[in-house]
Amino acid sequence: MAHRDREESGVSCGALQDGSPEARQNEVYRKLIRVMDPELGLSIIKLGLVYDMEIEDGAVTVTMTLTTPACPLGEVLTRDVRRVVGELPWVTAVEVRIVWEPRWSPAMIR
Amino acid sequence: MESGDDPVMTSPPAPASSAQPAAVAGGPAAEVGARRAASLTRPVPGRPALILPAILSLLAGLYAGLVRAGWGLLPLSANLAATHGPLMISGFLGTGIGVERAVALGRRAGFVVPALTGLGALALLAGLPGPWGVVLIAAGSGGLVGASLSITRRQPALHHVTLALGALAWLGGNLLWLTGWPVYRVVPWWAAFLVLTIAGERLELNRVLFLSRGARAAFAVTVAALLAGVLLTTVAPAAGSRVEGLALLVTALWLLRHDVARRTVRQAGLTRFIAVAMLSGYVWLAVGGVLFAVEASRLVGGPPYDAALHSVFVGFVFSMIFGHAPIILPAVLRVVVEYGPRYYAHLALLHLSLALRAAGDLGGWWELRRGGALLNVAAILLFIATTVRGVRRGARHHVIAGPDGARPAERFP
Repeated sequence: MAHRDREESGVSCGALQDGSPEARQNEVYRKLIRVMDPELGLSIIKLGLVYDMEIEDGAVTVTMTLTTPACPLGEVLTRDVRRVVGELPWVTAVEVRIVWEPRWSPAMIR
Repeated sequence: MESGDDPVMTSPPAPASSAQPAAVAGGPAAEVGARRAASLTRPVPGRPALILPAILSLLAGLYAGLVRAGWGLLPLSANLAATHGPLMISGFLGTGIGVERAVALGRRAGFVVPALTGLGALALLAGLPGPWGVVLIAAGSGGLVGASLSITRRQPALHHVTLALGALAWLGGNLLWLTGWPVYRVVPWWAAFLVLTIAGERLELNRVLFLSRGARAAFAVTVAALLAGVLLTTVAPAAGSRVEGLALLVTALWLLRHDVARRTVRQAGLTRFIAVAMLSGYVWLAVGGVLFAVEASRLVGGPPYDAALHSVFVGFVFSMIFGHAPIILPAVLRVVVEYGPRYYAHLALLHLSLALRAAGDLGGWWELRRGGALLNVAAILLFIATTVRGVRRGARHHVIAGPDGARPAERFP
């Protein structure tokens, strides 16, 4: 997985220009990979729960889902995402959208 | 599964732009910075008030349990000992599950369920004359059926149907209780409520393992057998309990064979603790199933009844509660619970004390049973104390994103 290699080596990211859209996406990605489902011990990225990410200036919008509408962890994951992404110095606002379409399926696990 | 070079997108099957927000959270720049940490521990108005009756039910139910176990404590009220089961199952667990489901739904209406069952539990505790407590609890369980059906309509799936059937079993039992059936005749329904609720949640979680069609079919047949056994108890209690017991045993074996806890137990920290709690609970579910089946004709009270019921309700259900409290409390009360290895102490005490109790029940050793019951209560009180400590430490450290400081695993071991 190229992006994992990138994340762990920290080399490729350094090749990106600071402040470029790609660099910022990488930074957000590396933050999101820390947010995990505590029961499975897997990142929300690994589980395929993150559908989309938009960055406009310092405002980050993360669109994600949960494995089921019966899952009570939506607020917790939302707070965790907001917290870790908000740690980035250039981030001025974080919005998390929980969506149910498309419906999550195990095929989305990476 | 490879995801290409794109470090961000997860390649959903449909364009993300077509996604319909069900809930939007977020805010202005003020969200970022020092206030973020504070928001993690900010209590949610109203939810503690809904949880309070559940906690009172738990404490009163434990006290009533000691009275029933023969500890000769002051009974506090005339019928407290008789309300042990209803307080523990409906007042504590039913209300707790109601809050959990309401948080998941994210609608104010969902909180009517725990409000009703909580008020019902308080009415039972206060010893109000008339059937008010039972009526309120039955109404609340009807609400949980509605909430569960709402989820099933949104996403029709076997795991959601199982949750709805569990809620329906709770409602069915409560309606029989309302018509004056004794608790021991209603217990098979309440057991089905909790077992189906937990099993349905595990089936949902186990989708990450890509279960075979055969495994899912076996699960569905077992659920049907469990419900058939419950229904049969209304006309033939012994035969019904035998069928239900066998279904509980098969459910336990299915979970021991297919549950993701078998894999996550190889991880670390909280993830491993949850897995240990679940797997050890499945063993007690199997024991309970065997006792339901073998002692079916004697499940009206006395030692076999005590052993069968507490294998399921304490060994299986409380083990699950111990495992999940560190992740459910943050969801429900917006607190951070710091996990630590000391969590194994109350889990071990729970299982050890229940083993003593069951041995006392089945061997006819009264003092062992009494001592085991006392230690069951001690284990739950230790769990409460450890959790409160974890909340206090969590409030100071704001630990998130990784149980016990662990990095997320890249894959299942």
